[in-house]
Amino acid sequence: MALSGIQIYKLLPQTNCKDCGFPTCLAFAMKLAAKQVELSACPHVSEEAKAQLAESAAPPVRLITLKSNGHEIKVGNEVVLFRHEKTFYNKPGLFIRVRDDQPADAVKAAVAAVDAYTVGYVGMDLGLDGFAVESVSGDAATFAAAIGAVRTVSGRPLVLISKDAQVMAAGLGAVDGEQPLIYGADGDNWEAMADLAKQHKAPLAVIGSSLDELAELTEKIKGKGIEDMVLDPGGRDLSTSLVQATQIRRLSIKKNFRPLGYPIIAFPCDAGDPARESVLAAQAIAKYAGFVVLGDFSPEKVYPLLVLRENIYTDPQKPIQVQPGLYEINDPKPESPLLVTTNFSITYFSVANEVEATGIPTWLMVADAEGMSVLTAWAAGKFDAERIAKSVKTFNVEDKVSQKRIVLPGHVAVLSGELEEELPGWEVKVGPREAVDLPAFMKQVL
Amino acid sequence: MAEHTVTFDIADEPVVVPTGTMLAEAARLAGIDIMQPCGGQGRCGRCAVQVTSGSARSRSAQRLSPEAIEQGFVLACQTVVEGDLTVVVPPQEKVERRLTTDRVAAEIAVPVGYDPHSAQTIRRFSLMLSPPDMADQTDDWSRLETALRQEADIPRLRVSLPLLQRVGAILREGEWQVTAVLDTETWDCERCLPRLVDLIPGRVPHTMPLWGAAIDIGTTTVSLWLVDLITGKVEAQVAEYNGQIARGEDVISRIIYAGKSDDNSREMRELVLGTINELFEKACKRVKASPAEVAKVTISGNSTMMHLLLGIPAENIRLSPFVTAVNQIPTLSAGEVGLDINPEATVDCLPGVASYVGADISAGVLSSGTDDTDAITLFIDVGTNGETVLGSREWLVTCACSAGPAFEGAGVRDGMRATVGAIEEVWVNANTFEPTYRVIGGKQPRGICGSGLISLLGELFLTGIIDKGGNFNVDLDTPRVREGEHGGEYVVAWGDGTEHGRDIAITRVDVDNLLRAKAAIYAGFTVLADSVGIPFETIEQMLVGGSFGKYINIEKAVDIGLLPDMPWDHFQFLGNTSIKGAYLALLDKRSRRRIRDIATRMTYIELSADNTFYDAFMSALFLPHTDLSRFPSVSEAMTTKG
Amino acid sequence: MAVEIPKDTWTGEVHAVTLGAIEADGGTRTKTVTVGGEKTLPFMHFEGETPNAPVVAVEIKDRRPDDWSPLLEEAWGSAMDDPAAWAKAAEEAGADLIQLSLSLTGSDGNPTTPQAAVDAVKAVLGATGLPLLVFGPGQADLDNELLVPVAEATKGERLVLGLCEDKNYRTIAATAMANDHLVIARTAMDVNLAKQLNILISDMGLPLERILMDPTTGALGYGIEYGYSVMERLRMAALQGDAMTQLPMIVTIGIETWKTKEGKVGDGVPEAWGDWKERAINWETLTAVTLIESAADIVVLRHPESVKRVKAAVTDLMTV
Repeated sequence: MALSGIQIYKLLPQTNCKDCGFPTCLAFAMKLAAKQVELSACPHVSEEAKAQLAESAAPPVRLITLKSNGHEIKVGNEVVLFRHEKTFYNKPGLFIRVRDDQPADAVKAAVAAVDAYTVGYVGMDLGLDGFAVESVSGDAATFAAAIGAVRTVSGRPLVLISKDAQVMAAGLGAVDGEQPLIYGADGDNWEAMADLAKQHKAPLAVIGSSLDELAELTEKIKGKGIEDMVLDPGGRDLSTSLVQATQIRRLSIKKNFRPLGYPIIAFPCDAGDPARESVLAAQAIAKYAGFVVLGDFSPEKVYPLLVLRENIYTDPQKPIQVQPGLYEINDPKPESPLLVTTNFSITYFSVANEVEATGIPTWLMVADAEGMSVLTAWAAGKFDAERIAKSVKTFNVEDKVSQKRIVLPGHVAVLSGELEEELPGWEVKVGPREAVDLPAFMKQVL
Repeated sequence: MAEHTVTFDIADEPVVVPTGTMLAEAARLAGIDIMQPCGGQGRCGRCAVQVTSGSARSRSAQRLSPEAIEQGFVLACQTVVEGDLTVVVPPQEKVERRLTTDRVAAEIAVPVGYDPHSAQTIRRFSLMLSPPDMADQTDDWSRLETALRQEADIPRLRVSLPLLQRVGAILREGEWQVTAVLDTETWDCERCLPRLVDLIPGRVPHTMPLWGAAIDIGTTTVSLWLVDLITGKVEAQVAEYNGQIARGEDVISRIIYAGKSDDNSREMRELVLGTINELFEKACKRVKASPAEVAKVTISGNSTMMHLLLGIPAENIRLSPFVTAVNQIPTLSAGEVGLDINPEATVDCLPGVASYVGADISAGVLSSGTDDTDAITLFIDVGTNGETVLGSREWLVTCACSAGPAFEGAGVRDGMRATVGAIEEVWVNANTFEPTYRVIGGKQPRGICGSGLISLLGELFLTGIIDKGGNFNVDLDTPRVREGEHGGEYVVAWGDGTEHGRDIAITRVDVDNLLRAKAAIYAGFTVLADSVGIPFETIEQMLVGGSFGKYINIEKAVDIGLLPDMPWDHFQFLGNTSIKGAYLALLDKRSRRRIRDIATRMTYIELSADNTFYDAFMSALFLPHTDLSRFPSVSEAMTTKG
Repeated sequence: MAVEIPKDTWTGEVHAVTLGAIEADGGTRTKTVTVGGEKTLPFMHFEGETPNAPVVAVEIKDRRPDDWSPLLEEAWGSAMDDPAAWAKAAEEAGADLIQLSLSLTGSDGNPTTPQAAVDAVKAVLGATGLPLLVFGPGQADLDNELLVPVAEATKGERLVLGLCEDKNYRTIAATAMANDHLVIARTAMDVNLAKQLNILISDMGLPLERILMDPTTGALGYGIEYGYSVMERLRMAALQGDAMTQLPMIVTIGIETWKTKEGKVGDGVPEAWGDWKERAINWETLTAVTLIESAADIVVLRHPESVKRVKAAVTDLMTV
């Protein structure tokens, strides 16, 4: 059970010695509670306290790492059921499935396309994480060959799919030294699979048709010394998969139920129909999957999913910001007036709404003030003449407006002199302090 | 660059300035001090001057009426000189003297069992030295030390050169009878030798006062208590507006102003020193003493005030990651600080916690006893920064939320400070919507002060003149609710009954400002409680400080959701807790140790670090709160009154 | 090993809100649609009831819009020239509800008149038996000017009038109250703002059973996460017993997704975006389904193929 800051504080020395790098023991305790710092930062904590704190510090969903030559993906380590409660930390891995009964050339072509795929989204390059190679042939050599074919064109991490331990052994042999995910162990083969997992230090996916069965299996496997597991609870339709994933996450977060404290693997690729597959994959991304295995690759399928994954795993604790830039309101012409404000979403929306309501064509320049409101940003030095002038240049405002006149929010009238210096040839006007007064100001003054 | 001549009607001589000079700057060069309470941001309109001829360009004319603009009025802080000018400067508004602290000085209780021998670091000894002769050629200084050793068991002393230079003369002037004032211990050097602070010829009767002073440098008001360190009694209380107001009302404006140049930084320092020195003059006069007799001073104040007083750059206070230059300031002397008292006097600037939780809050915790109780206590200093402390003997957390100055009457159209002419309480009839109000000084009103605004907001809300979101219900059948230039507004006093002949009203924008201020303060409580996982209901007492804490009407403050809805016996109003803390630290070295301990163990919660505060703020941005279950007594009032 | 499944016990539930009125109840609809009524988080059938499935509204306009994506024009064809025909086509495409957006101006460029608005609404009511949602053009004054006569001319229909916002809610709420309609309370992606507007509207006397809330969402890639979390939080608050959040939620996904470049534009976009049509429909569908899983009760869509896919997903999600 997670301890609160005060509860942890009571276990600390309470000397405020600052050796941990925090000003007080309570500050450190609160960081510990938020899992933003390691207990080892405190050199004075007692053994007894350490033992008590370790229990609460262990992540309720185990961190699982897949490794290949030069690539690594981590999933799990999640601490909440809903992203607003803190954040979701480790994005689920998106894997494309290939089968060993496909001709090697086809495998290579498909894998190469995926390997090369990147798509730009708000300044980031998004791509897929790896491949799930499935043994359809049931033949060890064929499986190993298919894996070999994948490896000739991509070094990304793998999920190896076969329930036959011999086939799996051959597959693992083909990527010796890597840490792929072994999929998987069920009630029949778990001992052999556990041996393989142990031998290759690879995480093991556990397959069960119910949570009862899954929990029993993971305990047995854990008894063989395997710590790193991934769960497949079996649901393949939207309703069952949502319920199962929620129950597993609830058990780990709320009950700290260790037998199911592992990431989940989902198989939207089994949907049969690409439209349904996308919907299943989207659900898996939002609702707790650690690994998502997709069928055939196509950019129009993958791009929305990659974006969704970014969105859901955005830290909700950060202030809501709008993208800095030059916004067009009511179809402005070059001679239309230019206002400036900050990129705190509420600030932006209140200004934009008032301007929109006037019907006056207007340019609204949103400067990057790190998501702060006008006054806060000004106080913190994030909205000053220099930054505003820089925005004018970055957004090529001079190419778009013909009238070199900029209207400052009234709260920062004090910046007008400096801004005139920063923007030679520009006229600086001071607007009203409150957005509600913008319509009157725009009608009378601009 | 072209130069222009600017002629001010009240200046001795015209000044010549280059194109682009700010008119306020030209005035300064001409030796005219134009009030700029907003720090030259074009927000307050107090620097309006009239250009009677010539060419100037204004960036902003906020706060000026169309008629005034027509007559050539401009804001000196927003107007640049572009040609020769003639300017008329209207009479400058004199800073009004605050009524309260000066008029009815509160009786301050001396701490029970105060014993200067054990508690006070400043000690005074009357000494009889044997005069030197040819047989005893011991030097003057050793002679003094010997006497002290015999009299007080103090073997050795430290002394400054200027005082040492005068020792021989003083001994002879007193004919080998002298009174030595010693500082026996300072917080930052407990094992240091005692230091000679003063040497007075002759024997001072032990009943004579030994003067010390506790000072609170508020952003708005500076207060000083003159204390007899022998009895512990406060013998004079004086207060005056902080002279820095002319360069900015809020700390941010002042930091920016001071940061612009060394000259500005020096000016800010001199302004506040000027205020303090005036206060020393005044207080000492009242007790017929001389400032030169003051031997020890403790100073409290927010971190910005402390930095500006000492001329320490304050820029990093406002810039992320918001760090001060120093929280625990070493013991200084009055001479180095620039106080016009005994230059050897010990100056002890009390310790702060963080950029926005300063010594005033450490002192507040000390004087309110928040650090020394088993009851979970919420302590708030209601002011621009809304500093809040939650805790008990076991732990303390603190935060600051920028509430803005609305509750000090600033940033509100007809807002003013709590001085003569301010409406301090309002009642509104729920059927006729007609108000009755009480004015400080009993005369015609000039504006509304913080407590008046709180009570007005509460009344508007409970009578349905505004809805829970602060929107005016303009459909009501009363001329008092009308459409103003900022949307709906409510007229509290018609022009024919006010001192200046203009209507006194509260506008939609004012309501928004007040809502934001109260929401910020309440959100601070919520976040602090959440940060340590303490449910609100477990808070056992609520201590309210700030000079404002004297007038506040709890019921109304709870109605609008400024203060949490708790049983009334949980509330306690403490007045200026900052100066009280300074007073305690002045008197007793144990209190001084305690305050250091408080500052060290208070855990500062940075509200801008994540969204928790924002969420709590949005939730509180409603009357009384979005979550009405937090305000059971208000929902009851709404059903009975509505 | 028998795993004990933790079940949340909720004290609150979402109001069931019925849209549209049949003749017996004072309207002309051939069917009504009830949304809300949930007693648990979305589709947690093992612990509580979800009596009403989320539904799909299809957005149509009173005249052919000037700025819709060519993909939408291709999908609806000439039906877009006539709101009645468009409503019929939407019904055939599987719509549970019709959402009519009034334009700012008529095709002649002049502001839409109250008479034109009333005519369009009547035409749509005549063409389909489905319940109807009517949105003003989105400018406070004009919204009030158009929605009041529409509300009066359709008294008793239990139309849903949109949108009430914090600065402009009184007129619309009052006319809904007087003419037996419903309203939508729209706020900008914030739990507290949503709750506040619900309080303000219910303080006017409009029962909560006649309010839907729109917490606003961005499309996928354009702020969906804010809407997603706000809806999760609102629904949890509702189930925890907070009366002012116990309203069914509606989100206007069509307008949000089809103004994104991913939906609107086929040329001059990165190759990595893939096939335009499939991408655009995916964009709308995934936005909708993701928000349905976070608690949306009504999604407003634009493309018929998205309607089909979203309805299929809902059927799947409702299977116990």
